[in-house]
Amino acid sequence: MKTLNLSRRGFLKTSGIVGGGLVVGFSLSGCGRSPLPIEPDADGFIPNAFLQITADNTMRFYCPRDEMGQGISTGLATLIGEELDVDPASFEVVFAGVHPDYNNPDFGVQMTGGSTSLSAHYLPLRQVGADTRAVLIEAAAMDLDVPANQLTTESGYVLSNGNRYPYGQFVATAATLQTPEAAPLKSSGDFRHISRTFPRIDGIAKSTGTAQFGIDVDIPGMHHAVVRRSPVAGARLKSVDKSAASSMPGVTDVIEISSGVAVVAEKYWQAKSAAEKLEPVWQEVALDQVSSASLRRDYAAQMSQDSGLVAEDEGDVGAGFEAAQKVLEGEYWTPYLAHAPLEPMNAVLNIEDGKAQLWSGTQSVQAAAGLVARFSGLEPENITVHNTYLGGAFGRRGTLTHVIEVTEIVTAVNKPVQLLWSREDDIRHGIYRPASLMRIRAGVDEAGKVTTWDAKRVGGNISPDSLKNILPGIFPGLGEGTVNWMVGLADSAMKGWITDPSSIEGLFEDYDFENVKITHTTVDHGLPLTFWRSVGHSYTSFAKESMMDELAIAADMDPVEFRLQNTKNNPRLNNVIRVAGEAMDAMTPDEGHYLGFAAHHSFATDVAEIAEVSVENGKVRVHKVTCVVDCGIAVNPDIVRAQMEGAIMFGLTAALYGNLELEAGEIQESNFHDYPILRMNEAPDVEVIIVDSGTEPTGVGEPGLPPIAPAVANAVFAATGQRLRSLPLNLGAASLQHGKEVG
Amino acid sequence: MIEFMLNGETVTTDDAPDTPLLWVVRDTFKLKGSKYGCGAGLCGACTMHVDGAAVRTCVLPISSVAGRAVTTIEGLGTPENLHPLQAAWYELSVPQCGYCQSGQIMSAAALLADNPSPSATDVDAAMAGNICRCGCYVRIKQAILQVGGTSLTDTSLAYDATLSDQETHA
Repeated sequence: MKTLNLSRRGFLKTSGIVGGGLVVGFSLSGCGRSPLPIEPDADGFIPNAFLQITADNTMRFYCPRDEMGQGISTGLATLIGEELDVDPASFEVVFAGVHPDYNNPDFGVQMTGGSTSLSAHYLPLRQVGADTRAVLIEAAAMDLDVPANQLTTESGYVLSNGNRYPYGQFVATAATLQTPEAAPLKSSGDFRHISRTFPRIDGIAKSTGTAQFGIDVDIPGMHHAVVRRSPVAGARLKSVDKSAASSMPGVTDVIEISSGVAVVAEKYWQAKSAAEKLEPVWQEVALDQVSSASLRRDYAAQMSQDSGLVAEDEGDVGAGFEAAQKVLEGEYWTPYLAHAPLEPMNAVLNIEDGKAQLWSGTQSVQAAAGLVARFSGLEPENITVHNTYLGGAFGRRGTLTHVIEVTEIVTAVNKPVQLLWSREDDIRHGIYRPASLMRIRAGVDEAGKVTTWDAKRVGGNISPDSLKNILPGIFPGLGEGTVNWMVGLADSAMKGWITDPSSIEGLFEDYDFENVKITHTTVDHGLPLTFWRSVGHSYTSFAKESMMDELAIAADMDPVEFRLQNTKNNPRLNNVIRVAGEAMDAMTPDEGHYLGFAAHHSFATDVAEIAEVSVENGKVRVHKVTCVVDCGIAVNPDIVRAQMEGAIMFGLTAALYGNLELEAGEIQESNFHDYPILRMNEAPDVEVIIVDSGTEPTGVGEPGLPPIAPAVANAVFAATGQRLRSLPLNLGAASLQHGKEVG
Repeated sequence: MIEFMLNGETVTTDDAPDTPLLWVVRDTFKLKGSKYGCGAGLCGACTMHVDGAAVRTCVLPISSVAGRAVTTIEGLGTPENLHPLQAAWYELSVPQCGYCQSGQIMSAAALLADNPSPSATDVDAAMAGNICRCGCYVRIKQAILQVGGTSLTDTSLAYDATLSDQETHA
């Protein structure tokens, strides 16, 4: 369970000072006090940064987190609506602009990610709802001349003596009162919306084509830009003959920007057609020399060295090997991956009279605003960012190079522009989940106890690149030299002194290992790296849970029983494994179908998954996945189910297909024909069992992913006797598999 | 100048004849419900109906729809007047990010027009061209089967009941 109290207290202290419309936010960005980015309605009551209630009883909820499909607008509307006594479905949801009051309480900046949004806001937004309800009751007591303790509320109305009065009737009085800061919260027994299932509040908009994504923004005079970038990451433009594109219909500008050449035209298709005529020449970079084969050799060379940074060393792994009855060794490979959200990167920017307006669906409007400021030279207070729905993100929309590009373009061409990346741009010029080579040597004794766990990971680290991408936006005033210095420092620190936590997270923590050693060696060829749904857990789970399966078999134990035996110090994961084990016992797979089991803890949530798999003509087919999850209180159980379903499909794409190959530094894949995404005819049925441990909510968006690849690999072993240690799973590639019983 | 029917109205455009229908609809006629996902007919986010058939419009030159009838998601139903598939989509909370759903619904609507009570296998076959990166497949299939399993009138009634449940909930 994550400790959130400190940040929550900080949040409450600052966002709770909401009396009389005065809002004081805490600030790490140096903005200080600034007006809320809220368009006030006539007679609208704005008790805090999150609500506006109008005289006609419209309830506007300013959603502080970005809606990328995870259902956070429904989830957060549920929290504030529960305490305010307003149906979450009746809110008009507005995605909040840039203001410190909308900072993620877990991060201290305005950013969405890390499966934190629901847990971080669980108490703060309920408190905002409760405080606002309290001031409305106080106002109603004055206006109706009835003692406050004789008033109750229901679904946006104050009830008094059998009469119903809309909240909106009291907003004028409420605006003159001091809003309390610590009104009592409901006990869970009184919840009317939390823990209930009802349709997502964005469901109608998203079923009628009326939900607005960044790509849908269209403003008067808007032109369209397409950028040609180097096929090898990081290479700058050497030269280009612009004439071939300039003369094409509709083209207004062809300009050089830091990432390549931008073509601006009246319509998108004109810009795209013209950009294809260009033949830019790029400077040489070290990555030119790298291919998948050379890269794998570099990883293997580092794995074979005894050297490495020791990240974890507890007990005595040597003694653990001595105590083992059997010792196994396995080497696991997971490739670079692109996020491939279905909406490619895009942004609309207009700069007029020294003021900039940006429209883009991002995981950080704050960083987006900062980048516009940095690259336009405008002051941050002259920049407005309009957030939209995000057409998928999965970590991709935390990196905003497209915002830098559009700012450079608009600054140069002086007209409103929409920049759109193509799918090919997305796959080839993206920012990636790092590749990893992992080796685990582990021992097990006769009683089925893991006696030793000696693991090493070789690969790139995401933190230096993340700093490089996030710092310039969050701190627009920071000089380029300082940013480079900090990124360089992080890079060398993570190569030589401290292991990047996200490089090894999940490789060892779940089980009762008394003797454990984790070693890390950074190998980084220069492809840009970032968070990818479930981050380090997306690959460490594959190595860890595959090895646990091998150990269980070596110990001649049932895989569930074996994991129960080794999670006695981890009761919540132990319980999830137990519940999943019962579900597995009750299954009777069809002829030719085999079951595989895996469990993993990530983002403070515990998940176990059972994959029912068959292998036909060397092809792996996943028929059904049963998922058991403990994420504390499920604020909307149906959204928890949906996130598990989605994470399983996302993880299956990686398990069965996901792979990026490099040739002379260039990503070889380009679109969905060679970077396939799981399709409906390949998708399994999914059953989700929610175990309610009654704790405060924990992460939901990511934790469903880590167990699926190993669950499928373990089922493939059950089906074929082949232990696949490389992703994507490929029964024809036995030469890639390194593993043995070593003692 | 190319003339065609767009959601029941005759329209004309002077966009270049090789311009894909998707971009004509989005940039010229400003209907933004149909999405760009791949530009290669691989993901289905751009699916519209041309003379009733589901078509990938990101690779369909505007010249080839001259004189034909194009229906987009905007022509299928509206928030106030949902198509039964849209009602089922809402009721089952099918969408996550929602970006692919216009294309999914247009493919599903073409399937049901052709085969009002499809089997799960029929649905798999008809929907295999539409990618959902969020992985909403379980629910997409469930929604189509649900609509296919009841007459359109029954489904509308079921949806009305859901809406009033919502209001009661409020």
